[in-house]
Amino acid sequence: MTIKIEALGKQIDSSTSTWLFRDVNTSIMEPTIIGILGKSGQGKSTLLRILGRLLPPDAGTVFLEKKEMSLWDARAWRMKISYVAQQAVMLPGSVEDNLQTVSTLHQRPFDKKLASDLMEQLYMEEIDWSKPAAQLSGGEKQRLALVRSLLLQPPVLLLDEVTASLDTKSKQAAERLLVDLHHQTGTTLIWVTHDLEEARVACKRIWFMANHQLAEDTECEAFFHSPQSVEAREFLQDGNVHAALSEVQR
Amino acid sequence: MTHTFTGSYMWLFFAYAFVFIALLLSVWQKLGLEKDILIGTIRSTVQLLAIGYVLNFVFAADSVWFILLIILMMILVASWNAASRAKHLSGIFWRISLSLAITEIITMGLLVVLGLVSPTPQYLIPMSGMIIGSSMIVTSLFLTHMNREVEASRGEIETLLCLGATTRQAVHVVLKRAVKASMIPTFDTMKTIGLVQLPGMMTGMIVAGASPIEAVRYQILIMLSFSSSAAISAVLISMLSYQLWFTRDSMLHS
Repeated sequence: MTIKIEALGKQIDSSTSTWLFRDVNTSIMEPTIIGILGKSGQGKSTLLRILGRLLPPDAGTVFLEKKEMSLWDARAWRMKISYVAQQAVMLPGSVEDNLQTVSTLHQRPFDKKLASDLMEQLYMEEIDWSKPAAQLSGGEKQRLALVRSLLLQPPVLLLDEVTASLDTKSKQAAERLLVDLHHQTGTTLIWVTHDLEEARVACKRIWFMANHQLAEDTECEAFFHSPQSVEAREFLQDGNVHAALSEVQR
Repeated sequence: MTHTFTGSYMWLFFAYAFVFIALLLSVWQKLGLEKDILIGTIRSTVQLLAIGYVLNFVFAADSVWFILLIILMMILVASWNAASRAKHLSGIFWRISLSLAITEIITMGLLVVLGLVSPTPQYLIPMSGMIIGSSMIVTSLFLTHMNREVEASRGEIETLLCLGATTRQAVHVVLKRAVKASMIPTFDTMKTIGLVQLPGMMTGMIVAGASPIEAVRYQILIMLSFSSSAAISAVLISMLSYQLWFTRDSMLHS
Protein backbone atom coordinates (compact mmCIF):
# COMPACT_ATOMS: atom_id res chain seq x y z
CA MET A 1 0.00 0.00 0.00
CA THR A 2 1.92 3.05 -1.20
CA ILE A 3 0.87 6.62 -0.51
CA LYS A 4 2.39 9.67 -2.16
CA ILE A 5 1.48 13.15 -0.99
CA GLU A 6 2.23 15.81 -3.56
CA ALA A 7 2.27 19.59 -2.89
CA LEU A 8 -0.68 19.23 -0.56
CA GLY A 9 -2.13 22.40 0.93
CA LYS A 10 -5.15 23.55 2.86
CA GLN A 11 -6.29 27.12 3.36
CA ILE A 12 -7.68 28.38 6.64
CA ASP A 13 -9.95 30.76 4.81
CA SER A 14 -10.24 30.73 1.04
CA SER A 15 -11.31 34.40 0.93
CA THR A 16 -8.07 35.62 2.53
CA SER A 17 -5.83 32.93 1.01
CA THR A 18 -4.14 32.19 4.31
CA TRP A 19 -2.69 28.70 4.46
CA LEU A 20 -3.02 26.28 7.32
CA PHE A 21 -0.27 24.31 5.61
CA ARG A 22 1.01 24.07 2.09
CA ASP A 23 3.45 22.27 -0.12
CA VAL A 24 3.45 19.04 1.89
CA ASN A 25 5.41 16.41 -0.04
CA THR A 26 6.12 12.95 1.28
CA SER A 27 5.50 9.30 0.60
CA ILE A 28 4.95 6.01 2.36
CA MET A 29 6.42 3.08 0.49
CA GLU A 30 6.05 0.29 3.04
CA PRO A 31 3.98 -0.48 6.14
CA THR A 32 5.04 1.81 8.96
CA ILE A 33 3.90 3.79 11.99
CA ILE A 34 4.08 7.53 11.49
CA GLY A 35 3.59 9.99 14.32
CA ILE A 36 2.39 13.45 13.32
CA LEU A 37 3.69 15.97 15.82
CA GLY A 38 3.46 19.72 16.11
CA LYS A 39 1.90 22.48 18.13
CA SER A 40 -1.86 22.94 18.12
CA GLY A 41 -3.21 24.71 15.06
CA GLN A 42 -0.63 23.37 12.61
CA GLY A 43 -3.24 21.36 10.70
CA LYS A 44 -2.34 17.85 11.89
CA SER A 45 -5.97 16.73 12.18
CA THR A 46 -6.85 18.52 8.95
CA LEU A 47 -4.08 16.63 7.15
CA LEU A 48 -5.50 13.35 8.50
CA ARG A 49 -9.01 14.33 7.45
CA ILE A 50 -7.79 15.10 3.93
CA LEU A 51 -6.04 11.71 3.79
CA GLY A 52 -9.27 10.10 5.01
CA ARG A 53 -11.23 11.98 2.33
CA LEU A 54 -13.43 13.86 4.74
CA LEU A 55 -12.07 17.22 3.57
CA PRO A 56 -10.91 18.31 0.13
CA PRO A 57 -7.40 19.81 -0.19
CA ASP A 58 -7.06 23.32 -1.60
CA ALA A 59 -3.83 22.46 -3.39
CA GLY A 60 -1.94 19.35 -4.42
CA THR A 61 -3.10 15.77 -4.29
CA VAL A 62 -2.54 12.31 -2.87
CA PHE A 63 -1.79 9.11 -4.75
CA LEU A 64 -2.82 5.76 -3.36
CA GLU A 65 -1.21 2.81 -5.11
CA LYS A 66 -0.03 5.23 -7.81
CA LYS A 67 -3.61 6.23 -8.58
CA GLU A 68 -4.56 9.84 -8.01
CA MET A 69 -7.14 10.68 -5.33
CA SER A 70 -9.88 11.93 -7.65
CA LEU A 71 -9.68 8.76 -9.75
CA TRP A 72 -10.57 6.66 -6.74
CA ASP A 73 -14.13 5.96 -5.72
CA ALA A 74 -14.33 7.74 -2.33
CA ARG A 75 -15.84 4.68 -0.69
CA ALA A 76 -13.13 2.33 -1.97
CA TRP A 77 -10.53 4.84 -0.75
CA ARG A 78 -12.03 5.04 2.73
CA MET A 79 -12.07 1.25 3.01
CA LYS A 80 -8.31 1.34 2.51
CA ILE A 81 -7.52 4.50 4.49
CA SER A 82 -9.85 4.83 7.45
CA TYR A 83 -9.98 7.80 9.80
CA VAL A 84 -10.65 7.38 13.52
CA ALA A 85 -11.83 10.63 15.11
CA GLN A 86 -10.57 12.22 18.31
CA GLN A 87 -14.13 12.55 19.60
CA ALA A 88 -15.59 9.06 19.45
CA VAL A 89 -19.07 9.12 17.94
CA MET A 90 -21.38 6.30 18.93
CA LEU A 91 -23.86 5.20 16.29
CA PRO A 92 -27.47 4.72 17.42
CA GLY A 93 -28.10 1.38 19.11
CA SER A 94 -26.24 -0.99 21.40
CA VAL A 95 -22.55 -1.77 21.82
CA GLU A 96 -23.12 -4.83 19.61
CA ASP A 97 -24.85 -2.72 16.93
CA ASN A 98 -21.75 -0.53 16.87
CA LEU A 99 -19.45 -3.53 16.67
CA GLN A 100 -21.53 -4.96 13.83
CA THR A 101 -21.53 -1.72 11.80
CA VAL A 102 -18.88 -2.87 9.33
CA SER A 103 -20.47 -6.26 8.77
CA THR A 104 -23.90 -4.64 8.31
CA LEU A 105 -22.61 -2.00 5.90
CA HIS A 106 -20.67 -4.45 3.76
CA GLN A 107 -22.87 -7.51 4.26
CA ARG A 108 -19.95 -9.46 5.66
CA PRO A 109 -20.38 -12.12 8.35
CA PHE A 110 -19.74 -10.62 11.79
CA ASP A 111 -16.44 -11.88 13.22
CA LYS A 112 -17.60 -12.14 16.81
CA LYS A 113 -14.40 -13.78 17.96
CA LEU A 114 -12.21 -11.01 16.59
CA ALA A 115 -14.53 -8.38 18.11
CA SER A 116 -14.39 -10.12 21.51
CA ASP A 117 -10.59 -10.44 21.32
CA LEU A 118 -10.15 -6.77 20.49
CA MET A 119 -12.56 -5.74 23.24
CA GLU A 120 -10.67 -7.92 25.70
CA GLN A 121 -7.31 -6.49 24.71
CA LEU A 122 -8.69 -3.03 25.51
CA TYR A 123 -10.05 -4.19 28.89
CA MET A 124 -13.63 -4.04 27.66
CA GLU A 125 -14.52 -7.71 28.25
CA GLU A 126 -16.87 -6.78 31.10
CA ILE A 127 -18.99 -4.48 28.95
CA ASP A 128 -22.51 -5.76 28.28
CA TRP A 129 -22.93 -5.78 24.50
CA SER A 130 -26.65 -5.13 24.76
CA LYS A 131 -26.06 -1.86 26.58
CA PRO A 132 -26.91 1.31 24.62
CA ALA A 133 -23.59 2.61 23.30
CA ALA A 134 -24.54 6.16 24.25
CA GLN A 135 -24.42 5.14 27.92
CA LEU A 136 -20.72 4.21 27.85
CA SER A 137 -18.15 6.46 29.52
CA GLY A 138 -15.93 8.70 27.35
CA GLY A 139 -12.98 6.32 27.53
CA GLU A 140 -15.16 3.29 26.77
CA LYS A 141 -16.66 5.06 23.77
CA GLN A 142 -13.18 5.87 22.48
CA ARG A 143 -12.06 2.25 22.80
CA LEU A 144 -15.27 0.93 21.22
CA ALA A 145 -14.81 3.36 18.31
CA LEU A 146 -11.28 2.03 17.85
CA VAL A 147 -12.45 -1.59 17.85
CA ARG A 148 -15.24 -0.69 15.41
CA SER A 149 -12.66 0.76 12.99
CA LEU A 150 -10.25 -2.15 13.48
CA LEU A 151 -13.01 -4.55 12.42
CA LEU A 152 -12.95 -2.88 8.99
CA GLN A 153 -9.33 -4.09 8.75
CA PRO A 154 -8.12 -1.27 6.52
CA PRO A 155 -4.49 -1.35 5.34
CA VAL A 156 -4.03 2.24 6.61
CA LEU A 157 -5.47 3.68 9.82
CA LEU A 158 -5.54 7.42 10.50
CA LEU A 159 -5.57 7.90 14.25
CA ASP A 160 -6.51 11.36 15.51
CA GLU A 161 -5.41 11.51 19.15
CA VAL A 162 -7.34 8.33 19.80
CA THR A 163 -5.71 7.71 23.14
CA ALA A 164 -6.09 11.25 24.47
CA SER A 165 -9.18 10.56 26.57
CA LEU A 166 -7.99 7.22 27.97
CA ASP A 167 -6.60 6.49 31.43
CA THR A 168 -2.98 5.32 31.59
CA LYS A 169 -3.83 1.60 31.66
CA SER A 170 -6.26 1.75 28.71
CA LYS A 171 -3.92 4.06 26.84
CA GLN A 172 -1.04 1.60 27.12
CA ALA A 173 -3.34 -1.25 26.10
CA ALA A 174 -4.50 0.69 23.01
CA GLU A 175 -0.89 1.52 22.06
CA ARG A 176 0.14 -2.12 22.50
CA LEU A 177 -2.82 -3.31 20.43
CA LEU A 178 -2.09 -0.90 17.59
CA VAL A 179 1.63 -1.66 17.47
CA ASP A 180 0.93 -5.42 17.54
CA LEU A 181 -1.61 -4.96 14.76
CA HIS A 182 1.04 -3.22 12.66
CA HIS A 183 3.53 -6.01 13.26
CA GLN A 184 1.06 -8.82 12.64
CA THR A 185 -0.89 -7.48 9.66
CA GLY A 186 1.33 -4.78 8.19
CA THR A 187 -1.27 -2.10 8.84
CA THR A 188 0.19 1.37 8.37
CA LEU A 189 -0.70 3.74 11.19
CA ILE A 190 -0.64 7.50 10.77
CA TRP A 191 -1.02 8.81 14.25
CA VAL A 192 -1.61 12.34 15.46
CA THR A 193 -0.59 12.63 19.07
CA HIS A 194 0.44 15.23 21.61
CA ASP A 195 2.10 12.61 23.75
CA LEU A 196 5.82 12.62 22.95
CA GLU A 197 6.44 9.43 24.89
CA GLU A 198 3.72 7.65 22.92
CA ALA A 199 5.25 8.86 19.65
CA ARG A 200 8.76 7.83 20.73
CA VAL A 201 7.76 4.33 21.80
CA ALA A 202 5.23 3.49 19.11
CA CYS A 203 6.29 5.31 15.96
CA LYS A 204 8.95 4.51 13.40
CA ARG A 205 8.81 7.81 11.61
CA ILE A 206 7.84 11.37 12.52
CA TRP A 207 6.16 14.05 10.45
CA PHE A 208 6.70 17.30 12.30
CA MET A 209 4.49 20.19 11.28
CA ALA A 210 5.51 23.79 11.91
CA ASN A 211 5.39 27.12 10.08
CA HIS A 212 2.52 25.95 7.90
CA GLN A 213 4.48 23.12 6.37
CA LEU A 214 5.87 19.66 6.94
CA ALA A 215 9.02 20.89 8.65
CA GLU A 216 10.58 17.46 9.28
CA ASP A 217 9.98 14.01 7.88
CA THR A 218 12.45 11.69 9.50
CA GLU A 219 13.12 8.49 11.41
CA CYS A 220 11.64 8.56 14.90
CA GLU A 221 14.95 8.09 16.68
CA ALA A 222 16.68 10.77 14.62
CA PHE A 223 13.88 13.22 15.34
CA PHE A 224 14.09 12.78 19.08
CA HIS A 225 17.90 12.70 19.22
CA SER A 226 18.86 15.30 16.70
CA PRO A 227 15.99 17.40 15.44
CA GLN A 228 17.03 19.50 12.45
CA SER A 229 14.83 22.56 12.77
CA VAL A 230 14.80 25.19 15.51
CA GLU A 231 11.02 24.70 15.83
CA ALA A 232 11.43 20.97 16.45
CA ARG A 233 14.08 21.57 19.11
CA GLU A 234 11.85 24.08 20.87
CA PHE A 235 8.88 21.75 20.55
CA LEU A 236 10.76 18.85 22.09
CA GLN A 237 12.14 21.03 24.85
CA ASP A 238 8.66 22.33 25.73
CA GLY A 239 7.33 18.79 25.61
CA ASN A 240 10.05 17.49 27.89
CA VAL A 241 9.57 20.30 30.39
CA HIS A 242 5.84 19.62 30.33
CA ALA A 243 6.41 15.88 30.87
CA ALA A 244 8.83 16.56 33.73
CA LEU A 245 6.32 18.87 35.38
CA SER A 246 3.59 16.27 35.07
CA GLU A 247 5.93 13.72 36.60
CA VAL A 248 6.68 16.03 39.54
CA GLN A 249 2.95 16.73 40.04
CA ARG A 250 2.25 13.02 40.13
CA MET B 1 -80.37 35.76 4.70
CA THR B 2 -77.44 35.27 2.38
CA HIS B 3 -74.75 37.89 1.85
CA THR B 4 -73.10 38.26 -1.51
CA PHE B 5 -70.03 40.22 -2.42
CA THR B 6 -71.06 41.05 -5.96
CA GLY B 7 -71.21 44.64 -7.04
CA SER B 8 -69.01 47.25 -5.44
CA TYR B 9 -65.72 46.72 -3.64
CA MET B 10 -66.91 48.52 -0.50
CA TRP B 11 -66.60 45.22 1.40
CA LEU B 12 -62.89 45.22 0.72
CA PHE B 13 -62.57 48.72 2.13
CA PHE B 14 -64.25 47.60 5.37
CA ALA B 15 -62.21 44.40 5.47
CA TYR B 16 -59.07 46.53 5.73
CA ALA B 17 -60.28 47.53 9.19
CA PHE B 18 -58.75 44.23 10.34
CA VAL B 19 -55.40 45.22 8.90
CA PHE B 20 -55.74 48.57 10.59
CA ILE B 21 -56.12 46.78 13.97
CA ALA B 22 -52.97 44.77 13.27
CA LEU B 23 -51.05 47.91 12.24
CA LEU B 24 -52.22 49.78 15.30
CA LEU B 25 -51.10 47.01 17.63
CA SER B 26 -47.76 46.71 15.86
CA VAL B 27 -47.09 50.46 16.22
CA TRP B 28 -48.34 50.56 19.82
CA GLN B 29 -46.27 47.56 20.91
CA LYS B 30 -43.30 48.61 18.73
CA LEU B 31 -43.27 45.20 17.03
CA GLY B 32 -41.83 46.66 13.83
CA LEU B 33 -44.12 44.49 11.73
CA GLU B 34 -45.79 47.32 9.80
CA LYS B 35 -43.87 46.68 6.59
CA ASP B 36 -44.64 42.94 6.68
CA ILE B 37 -48.32 43.62 7.43
CA LEU B 38 -48.60 46.03 4.50
CA ILE B 39 -46.75 43.80 2.05
CA GLY B 40 -48.80 40.79 3.20
CA THR B 41 -52.03 42.72 2.80
CA ILE B 42 -51.23 44.04 -0.66
CA ARG B 43 -49.90 40.70 -1.91
CA SER B 44 -52.79 38.62 -0.61
CA THR B 45 -55.35 41.06 -2.03
CA VAL B 46 -53.73 41.32 -5.45
CA GLN B 47 -52.92 37.60 -5.71
CA LEU B 48 -56.38 36.46 -4.65
CA LEU B 49 -58.20 38.96 -6.85
CA ALA B 50 -56.02 37.97 -9.79
CA ILE B 51 -56.57 34.23 -9.26
CA GLY B 52 -60.30 34.89 -8.88
CA TYR B 53 -60.45 36.48 -12.32
CA VAL B 54 -58.14 33.84 -13.82
CA LEU B 55 -60.29 31.01 -12.41
CA ASN B 56 -63.42 32.72 -13.66
CA PHE B 57 -61.91 32.73 -17.12
CA VAL B 58 -60.61 29.13 -16.89
CA PHE B 59 -63.94 27.77 -15.62
CA ALA B 60 -65.71 29.47 -18.51
CA ALA B 61 -63.18 28.27 -21.08
CA ASP B 62 -63.30 24.67 -19.73
CA SER B 63 -60.05 23.73 -21.53
CA VAL B 64 -57.74 21.01 -20.29
CA TRP B 65 -54.71 23.11 -21.31
CA PHE B 66 -55.70 25.97 -19.06
CA ILE B 67 -56.16 23.54 -16.16
CA LEU B 68 -52.72 22.07 -16.77
CA LEU B 69 -51.21 25.53 -17.04
CA ILE B 70 -52.70 26.59 -13.71
CA ILE B 71 -51.50 23.39 -12.01
CA LEU B 72 -48.01 23.85 -13.51
CA MET B 73 -47.94 27.40 -12.22
CA MET B 74 -48.93 26.19 -8.75
CA ILE B 75 -46.12 23.61 -8.79
CA LEU B 76 -43.52 26.16 -9.89
CA VAL B 77 -44.52 28.76 -7.30
CA ALA B 78 -44.65 26.10 -4.55
CA SER B 79 -41.21 24.80 -5.61
CA TRP B 80 -39.75 28.29 -5.61
CA ASN B 81 -41.13 28.89 -2.14
CA ALA B 82 -39.91 25.56 -0.71
CA ALA B 83 -36.50 25.95 -2.41
CA SER B 84 -35.94 29.17 -0.47
CA ARG B 85 -35.43 26.93 2.60
CA ALA B 86 -32.33 25.41 1.05
CA LYS B 87 -30.70 28.00 -1.19
CA HIS B 88 -27.29 26.43 -0.60
CA LEU B 89 -28.34 23.22 -2.34
CA SER B 90 -27.83 23.71 -6.05
CA GLY B 91 -30.41 21.91 -8.16
CA ILE B 92 -32.96 21.68 -5.34
CA PHE B 93 -35.61 23.64 -7.33
CA TRP B 94 -36.17 21.09 -10.08
CA ARG B 95 -36.03 18.24 -7.58
CA ILE B 96 -38.83 19.83 -5.57
CA SER B 97 -40.79 20.52 -8.77
CA LEU B 98 -40.45 16.90 -9.81
CA SER B 99 -41.55 15.51 -6.46
CA LEU B 100 -44.52 17.91 -6.28
CA ALA B 101 -45.52 17.04 -9.88
CA ILE B 102 -45.36 13.29 -9.21
CA THR B 103 -47.29 13.72 -5.95
CA GLU B 104 -49.97 15.72 -7.77
CA ILE B 105 -50.23 13.20 -10.63
CA ILE B 106 -50.57 10.20 -8.28
CA THR B 107 -52.94 11.81 -5.75
CA MET B 108 -55.16 13.74 -8.16
CA GLY B 109 -55.01 10.90 -10.67
CA LEU B 110 -56.32 8.46 -8.06
CA LEU B 111 -59.09 10.85 -6.98
CA VAL B 112 -60.26 11.15 -10.59
CA VAL B 113 -59.75 7.52 -11.63
CA LEU B 114 -61.65 6.24 -8.58
CA GLY B 115 -64.46 8.63 -9.42
CA LEU B 116 -64.15 10.49 -6.12
CA VAL B 117 -64.06 13.88 -7.82
CA SER B 118 -65.36 14.83 -11.23
CA PRO B 119 -62.69 15.96 -13.70
CA THR B 120 -63.94 19.51 -14.06
CA PRO B 121 -61.93 22.68 -13.41
CA GLN B 122 -64.18 23.52 -10.41
CA TYR B 123 -62.84 20.44 -8.61
CA LEU B 124 -59.45 19.83 -10.20
CA ILE B 125 -57.98 23.29 -9.60
CA PRO B 126 -58.90 23.94 -5.94
CA MET B 127 -58.12 20.38 -4.87
CA SER B 128 -54.81 20.40 -6.77
CA GLY B 129 -53.99 23.68 -5.04
CA MET B 130 -54.62 22.12 -1.66
CA ILE B 131 -52.60 18.99 -2.44
CA ILE B 132 -49.67 20.95 -3.88
CA GLY B 133 -49.84 23.45 -1.00
CA SER B 134 -49.80 20.76 1.64
CA SER B 135 -46.96 18.91 -0.14
CA MET B 136 -45.04 22.18 -0.37
CA ILE B 137 -45.22 22.51 3.42
CA VAL B 138 -44.06 18.91 3.85
CA THR B 139 -41.16 19.54 1.46
CA SER B 140 -40.16 22.78 3.21
CA LEU B 141 -40.26 21.01 6.56
CA PHE B 142 -38.15 18.18 5.21
CA LEU B 143 -35.48 20.61 3.98
CA THR B 144 -35.44 22.52 7.27
CA HIS B 145 -35.21 19.32 9.34
CA MET B 146 -32.61 17.82 7.02
CA ASN B 147 -30.39 20.92 7.25
CA ARG B 148 -30.56 20.76 11.02
CA GLU B 149 -30.16 16.98 11.26
CA VAL B 150 -27.14 16.88 8.95
CA GLU B 151 -25.44 19.61 10.97
CA ALA B 152 -26.28 17.91 14.29
CA SER B 153 -25.28 14.45 13.05
CA ARG B 154 -22.11 15.37 11.16
CA GLY B 155 -20.02 13.12 13.41
CA GLU B 156 -22.36 10.19 12.91
CA ILE B 157 -22.41 10.58 9.12
CA GLU B 158 -18.63 10.96 8.88
CA THR B 159 -18.08 7.97 11.18
CA LEU B 160 -20.13 5.83 8.81
CA LEU B 161 -18.28 7.21 5.76
CA CYS B 162 -14.97 6.31 7.45
CA LEU B 163 -16.24 2.76 7.87
CA GLY B 164 -16.80 2.53 4.12
CA ALA B 165 -20.50 3.42 3.98
CA THR B 166 -22.07 4.79 0.82
CA THR B 167 -23.55 8.27 1.14
CA ARG B 168 -26.98 6.65 1.19
CA GLN B 169 -25.98 4.34 4.06
CA ALA B 170 -24.26 7.17 5.92
CA VAL B 171 -27.27 9.45 5.77
CA HIS B 172 -29.98 6.79 6.12
CA VAL B 173 -30.87 7.34 9.78
CA VAL B 174 -30.72 11.12 9.47
CA LEU B 175 -32.88 11.00 6.33
CA LYS B 176 -35.45 8.83 8.06
CA ARG B 177 -35.65 11.25 10.98
CA ALA B 178 -36.15 14.23 8.64
CA VAL B 179 -38.81 12.43 6.56
CA LYS B 180 -40.68 11.45 9.70
CA ALA B 181 -40.49 14.93 11.20
CA SER B 182 -41.78 16.50 7.98
CA MET B 183 -44.84 14.21 7.89
CA ILE B 184 -45.88 14.46 11.54
CA PRO B 185 -47.74 17.83 11.28
CA THR B 186 -49.97 16.44 8.51
CA PHE B 187 -51.05 13.53 10.67
CA ASP B 188 -51.35 15.70 13.76
CA THR B 189 -53.72 17.98 11.85
CA MET B 190 -55.76 14.93 10.83
CA LYS B 191 -56.15 14.01 14.50
CA THR B 192 -57.55 17.36 15.62
CA ILE B 193 -59.40 18.55 12.55
CA GLY B 194 -63.03 19.41 13.18
CA LEU B 195 -62.36 19.66 16.91
CA VAL B 196 -59.94 22.57 16.97
CA GLN B 197 -60.58 24.22 13.66
CA LEU B 198 -62.97 23.97 10.76
CA PRO B 199 -60.81 23.67 7.70
CA GLY B 200 -60.90 26.38 5.05
CA MET B 201 -62.37 24.31 2.26
CA MET B 202 -65.25 23.09 4.40
CA THR B 203 -65.88 26.56 5.82
CA GLY B 204 -65.85 28.00 2.31
CA MET B 205 -68.38 25.47 1.03
CA ILE B 206 -70.71 26.04 4.00
CA VAL B 207 -70.50 29.82 3.63
CA ALA B 208 -71.22 29.43 -0.09
CA GLY B 209 -74.42 27.54 0.75
CA ALA B 210 -73.45 23.85 0.56
CA SER B 211 -74.82 21.53 3.22
CA PRO B 212 -72.34 20.77 6.05
CA ILE B 213 -72.56 17.05 5.21
CA GLU B 214 -71.58 17.71 1.60
CA ALA B 215 -68.79 20.03 2.78
CA VAL B 216 -67.51 17.41 5.23
CA ARG B 217 -67.50 14.74 2.51
CA TYR B 218 -65.04 16.76 0.44
CA GLN B 219 -63.03 17.71 3.48
CA ILE B 220 -62.60 14.06 4.46
CA LEU B 221 -61.57 13.27 0.91
CA ILE B 222 -58.98 16.02 0.86
CA MET B 223 -57.61 15.15 4.31
CA LEU B 224 -57.19 11.51 3.36
CA SER B 225 -55.51 12.44 0.12
CA PHE B 226 -53.15 14.68 2.15
CA SER B 227 -51.91 11.61 4.00
CA SER B 228 -50.72 10.00 0.79
CA SER B 229 -49.46 13.25 -0.72
CA ALA B 230 -47.44 13.99 2.43
CA ALA B 231 -45.87 10.53 2.34
CA ILE B 232 -45.20 10.61 -1.40
CA SER B 233 -43.70 14.10 -1.44
CA ALA B 234 -41.54 13.52 1.67
CA VAL B 235 -40.14 10.22 0.43
CA LEU B 236 -39.60 11.53 -3.11
CA ILE B 237 -37.80 14.71 -2.08
CA SER B 238 -35.63 12.74 0.35
CA MET B 239 -34.62 10.27 -2.35
CA LEU B 240 -34.01 12.98 -4.94
CA SER B 241 -32.14 15.40 -2.69
CA TYR B 242 -29.98 13.57 -0.13
CA GLN B 243 -26.93 13.58 -2.43
CA LEU B 244 -26.99 17.39 -2.46
CA TRP B 245 -25.65 17.48 1.10
CA PHE B 246 -22.51 15.74 -0.17
CA THR B 247 -19.80 16.84 -2.57
CA ARG B 248 -19.03 14.82 -5.69
CA ASP B 249 -16.35 13.09 -3.62
CA SER B 250 -19.08 12.03 -1.18
CA MET B 251 -17.80 14.33 1.57
CA LEU B 252 -20.26 16.37 3.59
CA HIS B 253 -20.39 19.99 2.44
CA SER B 254 -18.67 22.22 4.99
